[in-house]
Amino acid sequence: MTKRILVIDNEPYIQEVAQICLRTVAGWQVVTAGSGPDGLLKAAAEQPDAILLDVMMPDMDGPTTFENLQASTATRHIPVIFLTAKVQACDLRRYTNLGIKAAIAKPFSPLDLANQVSVILGWNLK
Amino acid sequence: MKILIVEDDEFIAEALTIVLTNQRYAVEVATDGQAGWELVEVFPYDLIMLDVTLPKLDGISLCRRLRSRGHQMPVLLLTGHDSAHDKAIGLDAGADDYLVKPFDEEELVARVRALLRRGSSASAMPVLAWGSLQLDPSACEVTYQGQILRLTPKEYALLELFLRNSRRVFSCGMILEHLWSYGETPSEEAVRTQIKGLRQKLKAAGAATDLIETVYGIGYRLKPLEAMTTPVASPGTSVQTQQQTMEALAGVWERFQPRVSQQVEILSQAATALSQRTLTQELWVSAEQEAHTLAGSLGTFGCAKGSDLARQIEHLLQAEQLGQDEAIHLAELVQALRQQTELPSLSTQPALPQNERPLLLIVASDRELAEPLVVEADSQGLRAEVVSSLVAASTVYRSHPAAVLVDLDTTSTDSFSLLAELRKPTPPVPALVLAADDSLKNRLEVARLGGRIFLQKPVPPAQVLEAVQQVLQQVDPAEARVMVVDDDPQLLVTLRRLLEPWGLRVTTLNDPRRFWETLEAASPDLLILDIKMPYLSGVDLCQIVRNDLRWSGLPVVFLTALTDATTVNQVFTAGADDFVSKPIVGPELVTRIINRLERIKLLHHLTEIDPLTRVFNRQKSTQDLDKFLSLARHHSQPLSLAVLDLDHLKQVNDCYGHAAGDGVLRQLGQLLWQSFQGDVVARWGGEEFVVGMYGMTKSDGVQRLVKVLETLNHGDVVALSTPDASCEFSQLQVTFSAGVAQYPEDGTDLRSLYRSADAALDQAKSAGRNRASTDLSVRVLPAGLLKPQLSPTKG
Repeated sequence: MTKRILVIDNEPYIQEVAQICLRTVAGWQVVTAGSGPDGLLKAAAEQPDAILLDVMMPDMDGPTTFENLQASTATRHIPVIFLTAKVQACDLRRYTNLGIKAAIAKPFSPLDLANQVSVILGWNLK
Repeated sequence: MKILIVEDDEFIAEALTIVLTNQRYAVEVATDGQAGWELVEVFPYDLIMLDVTLPKLDGISLCRRLRSRGHQMPVLLLTGHDSAHDKAIGLDAGADDYLVKPFDEEELVARVRALLRRGSSASAMPVLAWGSLQLDPSACEVTYQGQILRLTPKEYALLELFLRNSRRVFSCGMILEHLWSYGETPSEEAVRTQIKGLRQKLKAAGAATDLIETVYGIGYRLKPLEAMTTPVASPGTSVQTQQQTMEALAGVWERFQPRVSQQVEILSQAATALSQRTLTQELWVSAEQEAHTLAGSLGTFGCAKGSDLARQIEHLLQAEQLGQDEAIHLAELVQALRQQTELPSLSTQPALPQNERPLLLIVASDRELAEPLVVEADSQGLRAEVVSSLVAASTVYRSHPAAVLVDLDTTSTDSFSLLAELRKPTPPVPALVLAADDSLKNRLEVARLGGRIFLQKPVPPAQVLEAVQQVLQQVDPAEARVMVVDDDPQLLVTLRRLLEPWGLRVTTLNDPRRFWETLEAASPDLLILDIKMPYLSGVDLCQIVRNDLRWSGLPVVFLTALTDATTVNQVFTAGADDFVSKPIVGPELVTRIINRLERIKLLHHLTEIDPLTRVFNRQKSTQDLDKFLSLARHHSQPLSLAVLDLDHLKQVNDCYGHAAGDGVLRQLGQLLWQSFQGDVVARWGGEEFVVGMYGMTKSDGVQRLVKVLETLNHGDVVALSTPDASCEFSQLQVTFSAGVAQYPEDGTDLRSLYRSADAALDQAKSAGRNRASTDLSVRVLPAGLLKPQLSPTKG
């Protein structure tokens, strides 16, 4: 089965870059969402195999989106990886909820993104 | 991660320290509440363990005070009472968790870990990733492209610090403050040594040497990802895919360049407004956001410089107040950023930088000698740098040479101290020595200091470089081995061509009847089998492999044109792990194989390594030794088994504490690991280590072990700093005793070999007691040397 990834990022070009990287390199299907609320809807509807979630977004930020994903039985089981330009103590203080799989630092390396995701989730790159 | 224990009971404090130190936390102890409070005020801690009943200031009051002064770190209360009332008071005072003494070690560690995760510190991440580098805090494990790195606790802590603060530059002072407890007073040199060790291990795993980057005049940081040139492309990413991706990205870049310009424009507006003192809160906030987005994205398009500038802008805008100095700086940064983002296209194929070539450091003051060597090195794909010996040591630290060539004649005393310096890092930098005087004294001294090769002058440059290449190849860690069985020779050639560039050592076999002997000789990490072959089918072979205990864990991948359900089913029933259909698609096969190997390595590691000493444990080494034995039997080769006991472990524990004892064990483990690469090194329990040497007679084995003892004798292997006042061993020489047995003379299976070696060990021990400790030869004895009369002192 081809993997399906949901990318939630408010920046359209990041969405597109992530889509290209994951599709071309790994052959995965990629669904994109431009905001936290949009992401919640798509996560529930599309049931992706994993979610890449931007941390800093206006309105509903990454951690809040993650909490909402965890709160719903429809999306709780989906592994979430943060995409973040900061992996710093002060930001992580807010992530009181455990359960995100890992964080990938932005800017990510385009050719390595799919590989990083599969290593984190223990998938075989096809 | 730094933990403060506030506990007046010395015994409990000591026990906690040992448990937590083993988990790689930096631990400090205060013996009363007041002292604890004073420490908290000065040093940053990630967690505090607090005894409830304490002299001067009790635990509950201290906890209240911590919270009232705004300290947010998690607090774990320790108490002897298991009553709900006590717990409630403690938790009300602001404690996060509660542990009743006597505590269970595993529970303690789990609770600490859980608190650190949910606490104020940066441990919310189960796994920290940086490119292909991964650090899993829950397993204390670091991998690069799936390959495990063996790090010392300090190297691990250092890497964790960088990964958790991936954009930060740390000075030596800051690193000291984060990683060392106040009781230890290391110099900045200690930090540099750790950085160097870490870099070398990363390099050995295939990472770029400058993954941890030196920021001149400031300190160190993780090299931004986009600026890293990965030496090996991600497995599974063919050149074609890479090009496709880069082209697609170039398309995105073109389309979104207007958007990027707009973002830069907002930054520019903010800069202008700031200089005119008209910057509104709104513009300020949106400029900060745009800077953040650009910092997180430009690098992905190959514009690392842009990401860096945007990050500096973001950082600048995060200040509470902005003055005219900031205005000028901001304007400059925005200008530089604009230039970066207006570049027509992104660089798709970064050229391999100069420093990807291995560096040969030539230490010589004689130009006539050095110059031809530089030319020769260059023609053989090496970079060479010539330095005089005075500055050589510092150059080694700065530029991480792959090997060092030392001219002994120009400055001989310095050269020896340089050689000593070269063997300090793990793994040591290989050294070659050139000298006109090849007297035994000289040779011995060089060998003792770890010099790999001694060349007598005059010697032609080509010959010197040949020796260098030989040394470099030895340093390369053994790659994964793959064995392929297929009756089609053409396919075997194709597979070899496909797999070898990925650093896999490939053994091919086209006659399945020779399967068993080839398997034992090749000792592969992965087996690829064709299904349809004459005499024995792949399915038969797979079953044979699975039925043999020694090979039952070997991953098997099938290769076949048949993909019908029955065949597939048959293959998996026989015990296959994966299935690749013919015709072979190169990248797919490579990816599958590499993934499989990485996964196996990851899984195995956890069950095979002794956590204290990082050498193999008994289970794993028993398998390896059995493999060695079976090889030795088959090829009529000798095999030596050495059993070692660390001397005086109990005294070390008594005088210096168990942490010091653990330190001694760890260092002996590391030393053995370094000294016996390619052999089996394991800790079988307590103070007992085992070394298996294939192809070595027991006299070879004895000789090598005596050498290790010499190293122990000469090096300050363990810094035993604070002996107990009542300790009789104020100057303790760390030594071991060993017995060596040889296959087949002293035993034909592992058990009998062990028994013979152990008997020799007993003799060595009693002999060692009666001789001066400088006489090393009696500490390592071959089996059967004396009459098998067991030492009366044992048991």
